[in-house]
Amino acid sequence: MNHQIRVMILFTLLALFVSGAALAHDDIVIDFYFPSATANDAEGIFQRYADMFQEENPGITINSVFSGSYTDTRNTILTELQGGGAGPDVAVMLSIDLYSFAEEGYIVPAQTFIDAMADGGAYISDFFPALMANGIDEMGTVWSIPFQRSTPILYYNADLLAEAGYDSPPTNNAELVEIAQALTTDERDGLLVPVAGGFPIWMYQSFAIAYGQNIVSDDPTKVYFNTPEAVAAVEFVRSLGTDLGVGPAGGAAWGDTPVAFLAGQAAMIYHTTGNLSRILDGADFEVGVWYLPSGPAGEDGTGYGSPTGGGNLYIFDDGSKSKEELDAIWKWVLFLSSPEIQSDWGATTGYIASNATAWETEPLASRAMEYAQYGVARDQLQHADKEFSSYATITIQGIINKTLESILTGESEDAQAAMDAAQAQIDGILAEYK
Amino acid sequence: MRAQSPRHSFFSHLQPYLLIAPTLILVLMFNVLPAIKTVTDSLHRPARGLNAAGKAPDYVGLQNFQDLFDESHYMGARFRRAFRNTIVFALATVVIGVPLGLLLALLLNHKQPLRGLWRFAVFYPSLLPLIGAASIWSFIFSDSIGLANAVLKSLGHPGLNWLGDRNLALLSVIIVNIWKQAGYFMIFFLAGLQHIPRDIYESASLDGASDLQQFASLTLPLLRRTLLFVIVISFIFAFQTVEQLQALGEGGPNDSANLLLYLIFQNISERRNWGYVNAMTIVLIGVVLTFTIANFLLFERDEGN
Repeated sequence: MNHQIRVMILFTLLALFVSGAALAHDDIVIDFYFPSATANDAEGIFQRYADMFQEENPGITINSVFSGSYTDTRNTILTELQGGGAGPDVAVMLSIDLYSFAEEGYIVPAQTFIDAMADGGAYISDFFPALMANGIDEMGTVWSIPFQRSTPILYYNADLLAEAGYDSPPTNNAELVEIAQALTTDERDGLLVPVAGGFPIWMYQSFAIAYGQNIVSDDPTKVYFNTPEAVAAVEFVRSLGTDLGVGPAGGAAWGDTPVAFLAGQAAMIYHTTGNLSRILDGADFEVGVWYLPSGPAGEDGTGYGSPTGGGNLYIFDDGSKSKEELDAIWKWVLFLSSPEIQSDWGATTGYIASNATAWETEPLASRAMEYAQYGVARDQLQHADKEFSSYATITIQGIINKTLESILTGESEDAQAAMDAAQAQIDGILAEYK
Repeated sequence: MRAQSPRHSFFSHLQPYLLIAPTLILVLMFNVLPAIKTVTDSLHRPARGLNAAGKAPDYVGLQNFQDLFDESHYMGARFRRAFRNTIVFALATVVIGVPLGLLLALLLNHKQPLRGLWRFAVFYPSLLPLIGAASIWSFIFSDSIGLANAVLKSLGHPGLNWLGDRNLALLSVIIVNIWKQAGYFMIFFLAGLQHIPRDIYESASLDGASDLQQFASLTLPLLRRTLLFVIVISFIFAFQTVEQLQALGEGGPNDSANLLLYLIFQNISERRNWGYVNAMTIVLIGVVLTFTIANFLLFERDEGN
């Protein structure tokens, strides 16, 4: 045998022994998958959290794996599990992924662990109710714990509004249109709503809620996509780019929107609170943040509204994990959802810290004191409603997205007809679950 | 003649099989078995509804294929659109990209100043990682901050919504694809041109043939085999397109720029759609195979002549 090959084989065997020895150690290793939808250094932050946790909990090792976008994360995990692989122990996935994973029997409810806690009730009641909505099934069982949550919110260039004589942001759709038209020039859009680029449903839901009818309820077998309110909402969004002429026809692209806003090429934008820190740090003008304007349903709060968004912590177990492993996993979930970490995570990224105590904890308490904008994002939660989620979520969300795109780009002129057709397809799918 | 020992004869018979065994096993594992599974899965539908996890799929015959061609079905509407787009995309790549590659090769075949630089500039896009190149283009095409619209606006045009306009989205993807591949095709044509002896052009010139006549009567017929090869690979590449779409609008508004393989990728994650995903794969393979065999036969006939 060739000398070099022999050396290589020896080294390989050595490496196997060494890694085997490391595994033989008693440490419980928790595989933790996390996505990132904003441009922050998520990997560095999670490593810091893992180090803190490991110091407090000797014997548990956190193996953090950055898994791309939310979609990449979901697809990676589904592919691993469907192929018989191990998958993660804990993962941050969209709060609306609940039924996709529960249907397959891949995740276990957090409720089991909460019930075993001495103060489980207090732990859960500290979370903002709107942020719990997507993590609870129709039977009231808590499946997932809010982690990096967000809502759409109105960002406005306060300098431009002041120049045009507006001291305060729009509070309803009529004012929104008026100010947007006043601020639209050849070089600048008055209002960008990012409904282009494959995922219009989230922003659209803001308008549907403002028009008085969320498209989703607590019942995962029901969707309300062709109601008069749902139709009027999409017609309003379409008119922003056509009749009203305050933005591009068909809507703006997701990633372009904050860039255009920071460059002064858009006076107002709808975007996620997840970008709050990035926008505050990047702007050379005064950034205003306000609730999404109320719709025809009323100024009394019923016409305000935004869906919630973002990711929750999910626990994976096919029944094979030991009690020690599950306890360690739950400790990590408790750690990440603790007021201390939520406060740090919220202040670093702009995601809405998901429990009330986090807002009284440093560093977020000071940050929110310095920038009132953070508090607006939190206070809008009292008007927030559930994000779209149902059985067969991915397929049905796809139908809704395609239908919205066809209406917004003018391919389907008759919004009602297109939404009736979509509703029929959706009802056909959901009938399988009744 | 000495008789072979039975032992020796056994091994000499076994030897070729042993030699191909590793390859055979890999091909069986990664090509043949998945192909068979794709066919059987395309005839089944995963169990749906509550408590479907763990249940065996139902045999549905050709129902998945019927649904794919049903415009009122949620998957059918998407499939028909992506199928049509894929054909348009493939034809555009072949009809525009291949002649462009040939034209570039003709232009850059002659000695001229900075020829190396020109060749490099044209070939460079094909060296870039596809997803990186597409990301650069997604910036160029961006509606409010993009380079393309900055140029258009400086010329007094209000700008175009390249990736967001349903009538433009597919064209934008085609532009990127042709930009990426024309230089690659050029290399094959350049290689082909190098093999054509110079002296036949000289004698043609002496006989008074114009450049155009020389191209039509000499260059094109002599490049025929290269041309066929390039057409085949460009067609196959077109059907394999996935990465660009990830950066260029993910299939466009309401699938107006979606292509088959990307649609398959988009629908893999939800189990309920696996029957459709497999059926779409069969259709895709069927189209590519038909085209490849047709071209193979053309090659063979060419060889015969």
